[in-house]
Amino acid sequence: MRPRLFPWRKATETMVQNKLLKIHNLHKSYGDLEIFKGLSLAMDRGDRLVIIGPSGGGKSTLLRIVMGLEDIVGGDVYLDGKPYILRDGGKTKIDHKLQARVGMVFQHYTLFPHLDILRNLTLAPVKTRGTPRAEAEAKAMALLDRFGLAAKARSYPSQLSGGQKQRVAIARALMLDPDLLLFDEVTSALDPELVAEVEAVMMELADQGMPMMIVTHDMHFARNIASRVVFAAGGVVVEDGPPEQVLDNPQVARTREFVERVFARKK
Amino acid sequence: MHFDPTIPFKYWDALLIGLGTSLRLTLICLAIGIALGFVTSQARQSRLLPVRAVATFYVELFRGTPVLIQLFWIFYCLPMLIGAEPGNFISAVLSLSLYAGAITSETFRAALKSIPREQYDTCRALGITGLRLAIWVVLPQALLRAIPTLLSNAVALFKESALISAVGMADLMFIGSSIANRTGRPVEMLTAVAIIYFTVAFPLTRIVGRIEARILRRLAV
Repeated sequence: MRPRLFPWRKATETMVQNKLLKIHNLHKSYGDLEIFKGLSLAMDRGDRLVIIGPSGGGKSTLLRIVMGLEDIVGGDVYLDGKPYILRDGGKTKIDHKLQARVGMVFQHYTLFPHLDILRNLTLAPVKTRGTPRAEAEAKAMALLDRFGLAAKARSYPSQLSGGQKQRVAIARALMLDPDLLLFDEVTSALDPELVAEVEAVMMELADQGMPMMIVTHDMHFARNIASRVVFAAGGVVVEDGPPEQVLDNPQVARTREFVERVFARKK
Repeated sequence: MHFDPTIPFKYWDALLIGLGTSLRLTLICLAIGIALGFVTSQARQSRLLPVRAVATFYVELFRGTPVLIQLFWIFYCLPMLIGAEPGNFISAVLSLSLYAGAITSETFRAALKSIPREQYDTCRALGITGLRLAIWVVLPQALLRAIPTLLSNAVALFKESALISAVGMADLMFIGSSIANRTGRPVEMLTAVAIIYFTVAFPLTRIVGRIEARILRRLAV
């Protein structure tokens, strides 16, 4: 058994061990600007969580925190019942073993421009996990094939369309077999006609039971893919429930206001 | 006295030797300068204040003063300080290399800075950190981005190398002006020298443009 990184957390662990992800009393600020004021959120293994809320409300920041890219001011995050991110001695501590089980896809794809598509996929497994190159390449080719990109394996990112690049980015994240995949406005930078191909890939992953946390502006897609919709505003979770509730029949006035405004704009 | 374009052709072999000296010196100083520039760009990001201070002082000093004065300072003042005559070749190599190092360090710094922050986030999300991040993601992109500017630096250095004639190095400029003085034909000789410099530099600048376009297309993601 490997040594426990946070042995003093034992009591709390048993309480939360059934949840894939549990965010407890999260505080985060940028300077004087308070982004989260005690946000709590839990996620089961079968959940596909879509987070909606006003812009500037910290939706992307929440994903970045779960990915371990941001310092926090207070609170803790548990992954699979184990302490993943917490404050200790005035510093944010991240368990990097647990971090490796989370994957993230970014708005601007951020592929490696100096590497071809195949190398984009194999770089992390080969260089950081010691996966043999042949094995990593076989896995990469299988993923590219599944996403209809096998013919692009030797192309460079600059030769691909935005939709293709984003599908490569998803495949790259899948190379590391994440237990939880985060999608940060992954279709926002795409031309409208390219959105569908990326959403189709995400729907396919959803059908296979991949746990996801998604930030999107596309309410139609949110309704299709979400098992739960979380409305976050003012630094806390305002409403959390199935899409039929949160999007169609919100129970909280603030959610209703937001949803009505968003759907009015779409018409 | 009328313009006689045939005069430089009588001295073509001497001019060719001068060109050889100019090119050789440029290449030597470029090689030293690029190595020095890379080390300096790293030193300027050092966590240690004295290292950062020395590197910054060096770069700003050599970027902010005329190359000709740097050359004279090394040729005339260095011997007084170290008590030995380095000679004009060493002086020329030393001053042009230091100048090239200061310029290319800025090139490397800009290239490193131009790598978007998202690349670092992505790498952290993929578990690529520390030395692996530097070797497999940052350095290759920085070098690619630096290549066009480094080539421009090289062309600039080739032209700046004409200054070493001032300390008596027999480069293209020195030989051209010597012949001009001896024959009393400065217009013909210096025009010929200018054409030779241009013939070498112009294709290089064109190639730089092409390479730059290709690299930018590759990196436009």
